[in-house]
Amino acid sequence: MMKSIHRVAIANRGEVAVRIIHACEELGLETVLLHSDADMNSRAYRLATKSICIGPAPTAESYLNITANIDAAIAAGADAVHPGFGFLSENADFAHACEKAGLVFIGPSSDSIRLLGDKISFKNLAKNAGLPLLPGYEGDDQTIPTLLAEVEKIGLPVIVKAAAGGGGRGMKLIRNLSEAKELIESAQRESKSAFGSEKIFLEKYLERAKHIEFQIFGDCTGNVKHYFDRECSVQRRHQKIIEEATSPSLTDDLRRQMAEVACTIATIGNYRNAGTVEFLLQDGKFYLLEVNTRLQVEHPVTEEVMGVDLVKLQILTAAEKFVFSSKDVRFPKGHSIECRVYAEDPYKNGMPSTGKIGTQIWPSGPRRRFEYGFESGDTITAHYDPMIAKVIVWDETRARAIQKMIHTLNQSIVFGVHTNIPYLIEILNHAEFQNGSMTTRFIETYFADGISAAAEPTLAPAALYKKFLVSVPSGTLSKSSMESPSPWNSAWRGI
Amino acid sequence: MNAPVNFMVEINGIEKSVLAQIVDQKFWFRIGNQTFCYDLTELNLGSSARNNKSLSKSPHLVAAPMPGKITKIFVAAGDLIEKTQALLVMEAMKMEYTLKAEIKTSVDKINVKVGDQVALGHLLIELMPEVKS
Repeated sequence: MMKSIHRVAIANRGEVAVRIIHACEELGLETVLLHSDADMNSRAYRLATKSICIGPAPTAESYLNITANIDAAIAAGADAVHPGFGFLSENADFAHACEKAGLVFIGPSSDSIRLLGDKISFKNLAKNAGLPLLPGYEGDDQTIPTLLAEVEKIGLPVIVKAAAGGGGRGMKLIRNLSEAKELIESAQRESKSAFGSEKIFLEKYLERAKHIEFQIFGDCTGNVKHYFDRECSVQRRHQKIIEEATSPSLTDDLRRQMAEVACTIATIGNYRNAGTVEFLLQDGKFYLLEVNTRLQVEHPVTEEVMGVDLVKLQILTAAEKFVFSSKDVRFPKGHSIECRVYAEDPYKNGMPSTGKIGTQIWPSGPRRRFEYGFESGDTITAHYDPMIAKVIVWDETRARAIQKMIHTLNQSIVFGVHTNIPYLIEILNHAEFQNGSMTTRFIETYFADGISAAAEPTLAPAALYKKFLVSVPSGTLSKSSMESPSPWNSAWRGI
Repeated sequence: MNAPVNFMVEINGIEKSVLAQIVDQKFWFRIGNQTFCYDLTELNLGSSARNNKSLSKSPHLVAAPMPGKITKIFVAAGDLIEKTQALLVMEAMKMEYTLKAEIKTSVDKINVKVGDQVALGHLLIELMPEVKS
């Protein structure tokens, strides 16, 4: 049975909403952006065919509100919903509510999300299938005394994670028993606030592990294949910063074994659509970490090396129009890197930076991709995730991809909010990143205190400001004007 | 918002291109690969201090280092506290930040309660000034 999709509701915001709109437009589909009060000034709002406000800025009242999203999607005449990542994307109740309301959920079935997306049911499934897992505790007894006893049993260090979580939210690392209680409670609060559930689980923490993940995809007949691997070892507070495809750490043999485990767990979970199976790798041994039953932030690096459009494949699969062809055998080509640009001050240990975005310059060039959600004049608020853009490059080798990324970031400019771009450049220049041996503790080891302050400009800022004032074409300072597409070429040149 | 302006400056005899723009009372400019940001009020006063350095320098006044929500308060007025002791937890952009005491002293006044949404620089907790022995 073929489902027909004409209008896709997007239950998300920022750069991923823009990414989904682009895929829909290319497929000739209309889009409806389901947005909060705070996101009227955003690129996705301007690009979507239609938009409906689903509530005020706090996520619980808008982006996490299932009823508001479903009602708005139906009111707007949408026949499908793309949840993006974060928010309700891994919420089985939301997928189920879509199914019940007659909306096609662009993702796996609610049953698959329950089986694989719930980190605890996933662990039981993997255990029964004899797949490799880390020692841990995922029991129903969530009282503090039980959790503390389990921490001792597993042996320090132990990591606390939100059962419904992802993206580093609600994760805490316990190194001393004395701070265990405070950290567990803090994880429960963050988890409640970000995902609406207090449930957490415990896991042995590996000290020198690499984060490797496989992009899996189930076509509409349930045939699961993989689009090879990514490495995301560069993480800060368990939040990924730089990702690449493919991993520089895998031998052919390991890659084959891990891919098989990834496809096995997805097949057991009756998986359809795009998903990611995450692993930790240490000393040549790998452990299943979790399955993310959604599109991943770092999906572009896989798209670049595999030559696929995962978002379009997601929509086509949901419409029951995508089946793997036995002739379509794909192998990764070259190397791709993604850097997440966060609105934060790199010289103040990553303090969030909010405010109105000024000029942005993303220097285009061969095989460079810029995924951004906000334009000049839009405001970055404290309500949401600080990621404002992603920069993705592809080149023939890893070394050249790193070189291209450094060059591209050096030419990228954002005014109005501070960004982590200088921080990203320092990481890319680090010997351990360049030789590919970095582990998940790379940031903690070398960049614990952020980076040292930028050199003061060689000319006093007050003097520069005076030069700026005389350079401004008369009259323009008082009137509001749109960003010029290329200020380097068209702006007035003074002095 | 005004369009950005591109102009040339001479530094050590070499002409360099500068891109600059005023966004919300802040002067942003770019020389080479570096972006800088200064508060207009400071530039008008002729000070070259970086905008960010103007936040409270008094360790007994605990101000919000970012806009966000207060999620937990660990101390009450009158409490004796140790240096590095956790005072309160703030949440912004979905991440938690724990503010800790920079000095050993006692708590004078708490100006916020759990659930409060505060702006950058909001005075959250007043400690007794450190007594130097």
